[in-house]
Amino acid sequence: MAITRDQKRPSAAPIWSFLNDATFRSIVYQLVTAASIILFFWWVIGNTTANMAQRNMSAGFDFLNVSAGFGISFTLIPYREGDSYLRVFQVGIANTLLVAIISIIFATVLGLFVGLARLSSNWLIRTLARSYVEVLRNTPLLLQIIAWFFGVFNLLPRPRDSIVWLDVFALNNRGFYMPAPLPEAGFNAVLLTLALAIVAAVYIRIWAKRRQDATGQIFPSLSVGAGLVFGLPLVVFLALGQPLSWEIPELRGFNFQGGLSVPPSFCALVIALSVYTSCFIAEIVRSGIQSVSRGQTEAAKSLNIKPNWTMRLIVLPQALRVIVPPLISQYLNVTKNSSLAIAIGFPDLVSVWMNTSLNQSGRAIPIVAMTMAFYCAASLFVSLLMNAYNRRILLKER
Amino acid sequence: MSDYRALGGVPFMPKPARPAPANTTGVVGWMRQNLFSSPSNALLTLVGAYIAYVTIMAILNWAVFNAVFEAESRRECLDLVGRAGACWPGVVAWSRQIMYGLYPADQIWRINMGFLTLILWVVPLWLPRVQSKVAIGLTAVLVYPFLASYWFLGGQAGFVWSVLIAASIACFVWVWATALLESFTGATFGRFVLTLLGVQHRSEQDQRRVLRAVAAAMLLVAYVAVSFWTLPFVPTTRWGGFFLTLVISGIGIAFSLPSGILLALGRRCDMPVIRIACVLFIELFRSVPLITILFMFNTMLPLFLPVGVEVNQLLRAIVAVCLFAAAYMAEVIRGGLQAIPRGQYEAASAMGLGFWQTTVLIIMPQALKIMIPTIVGNFIGLFKDTTLVSIIGLFDVLNMARAVGEDTRWLGLFIEPFFAVTVLYFICCFAMSQYSINLERKLDTGPGGRR
Repeated sequence: MAITRDQKRPSAAPIWSFLNDATFRSIVYQLVTAASIILFFWWVIGNTTANMAQRNMSAGFDFLNVSAGFGISFTLIPYREGDSYLRVFQVGIANTLLVAIISIIFATVLGLFVGLARLSSNWLIRTLARSYVEVLRNTPLLLQIIAWFFGVFNLLPRPRDSIVWLDVFALNNRGFYMPAPLPEAGFNAVLLTLALAIVAAVYIRIWAKRRQDATGQIFPSLSVGAGLVFGLPLVVFLALGQPLSWEIPELRGFNFQGGLSVPPSFCALVIALSVYTSCFIAEIVRSGIQSVSRGQTEAAKSLNIKPNWTMRLIVLPQALRVIVPPLISQYLNVTKNSSLAIAIGFPDLVSVWMNTSLNQSGRAIPIVAMTMAFYCAASLFVSLLMNAYNRRILLKER
Repeated sequence: MSDYRALGGVPFMPKPARPAPANTTGVVGWMRQNLFSSPSNALLTLVGAYIAYVTIMAILNWAVFNAVFEAESRRECLDLVGRAGACWPGVVAWSRQIMYGLYPADQIWRINMGFLTLILWVVPLWLPRVQSKVAIGLTAVLVYPFLASYWFLGGQAGFVWSVLIAASIACFVWVWATALLESFTGATFGRFVLTLLGVQHRSEQDQRRVLRAVAAAMLLVAYVAVSFWTLPFVPTTRWGGFFLTLVISGIGIAFSLPSGILLALGRRCDMPVIRIACVLFIELFRSVPLITILFMFNTMLPLFLPVGVEVNQLLRAIVAVCLFAAAYMAEVIRGGLQAIPRGQYEAASAMGLGFWQTTVLIIMPQALKIMIPTIVGNFIGLFKDTTLVSIIGLFDVLNMARAVGEDTRWLGLFIEPFFAVTVLYFICCFAMSQYSINLERKLDTGPGGRR
């Protein structure tokens, strides 16, 4: 077989032999792919322009300066009914980010707690944590959000019979009320001190690490840093005579006035998102800590390293390597999942922009494009962050 | 041996072993070790037991002990127990809509038959002596949907659709013939047919011709059967409830695996145009929430298609869910592909296998096996995410549950139907995840064998 082929080759390779050439094939495949993609988009764009011409729609961004003319029930940044569509977009982004950030904080704390409980040596605690995770992870988030909204926050008492804690926090079926801080003259000094203290703490940490690398001496940078960050502003705050007062919500007429308030849909959304995400975070924490092999702990013990140092210096740094990347992608998921707010009427980006504004202005294409651009930007930002982290923690192998 | 005899002449008689200390064995010992090993542990146990007791009793009291099981309206329930107990009659009265939506009551048997067909189709996968499991699994994913489409949709089938339905029925017959033959005789269906016709000693080409003829005959018989088979048409606007959820997530799952594999291969290939196209598609669909994709397809799909083409809402949702699921699956498969050591590719090359042979025979089986937990996790996620179609106005299980509380007789009855739906979802998802753990253990051939 091989011999006959060798004998044939010098005489004349068949004219179609270039068909078997890998480079030629790859070029052809790519040309075909590119052509079909271009044709597809050409077809879609042609259809879209025809459809839009028929329905008298336009695709421009000129509507952004037009007054939107609808109210939004909860806004983080100031908004009035006459403001432009662009402002609506900003309000939506601000609300989405607010929900996402608060949920992320709660979810992390709760997830860490449950994750550690899943590793407990106590059978009952372990089992409880496991059932918490299994039950909440295996039911849809949308269902949980709706259940929290209809099942809990909708059934709360009227403002007259509000649940009140410590005379300053109040909860009723109109929302959750808390005191608002009112900074007075000199409060900026406190904030400035805080900023300086944070910078100083970071600097001390870097210095301590450099010194430890060079000399082996350990400096308690963590506790000193914490002392600086919490202590210094407190001292300044007291020295200036406590330049901060609180506006406490009061029951006036039919509802509470003053202070800060969030609607029930916000509470339901934040609680559902944090509880749901905490299950995934718990599993990430558990698998991260379990991924550190037993030999590491044993080696630390045989080197006579104190138990709490073993956790801090041996186990945690290695576990974090496994924990952080999926944790960050969970954070991104929280941001994306906050779009379910629309089911309970919380005005997030998708709700005010992709639903209300789209229905009212009819500018489907720019609105969808802007919404997607926001989420794409968020995800791009997070993946850049993750790549940077991954590069930093990359194992330096021999 | 004889030493101690010389010492005293007394043979060695071991004393009976003392029982283990009472505190380390049995229930008490287990409790001491796992629950009360230290004072702080004991405190934790007590707190945990209290939390567990309060939660379980609250749920049981509400759902069982204080619940009302027979009533005509929510008012009656409230008069009996107030809010202390569940009002189940509302859920029972609406159970048909929660499961099947607005599907005509006299046609519901078709849905049941459709799902029964699916179950019968995949049962052979669990029969131990069946060899052609891959083929059966593939037909269940690729061919069964045509039969299901007729069960669910009905109406006047055109020629192409009829042929597809006929092919589906023929395949179903083949699946069970294969399963039975392989279980009892060990011969494949093809070999059995050849023996039956007495042509098993002819040349291979002849045998193949005969098999083709048999397949064509089966198809023809099935086609004739299909042409006599008419079911009344049920428009998709009447589909709803848990049935709709299963249809959407089932199509999404069936579509996501093959398209995810193709996208993942495209992302890893060395042709830049194909790679960039795949990366863009995957990243775009992964970075935006499903709800925006659903909204986008809901409002823009009619714009993208030629003027005058109508797309029903269910189809828009299905297209959105499929593309979303494909992008997610592609990343999972890529993770599996990256875990395959380079040596496997090199070994396949050395054996003279081409790209597709390497992929299908060497790489994919390993990659898919590693990723089973993640793939099933993805399926579960998709199944849960299907609830989002309720936001764009399809009457899936969630919207049906919400409709109970909007019925005048059961006004305000929200928690009970949601609780029922939650339990339904939990059972499905938990069963899936446990099965995947089980499967992972069964397929584990790594170092150390079955761990």
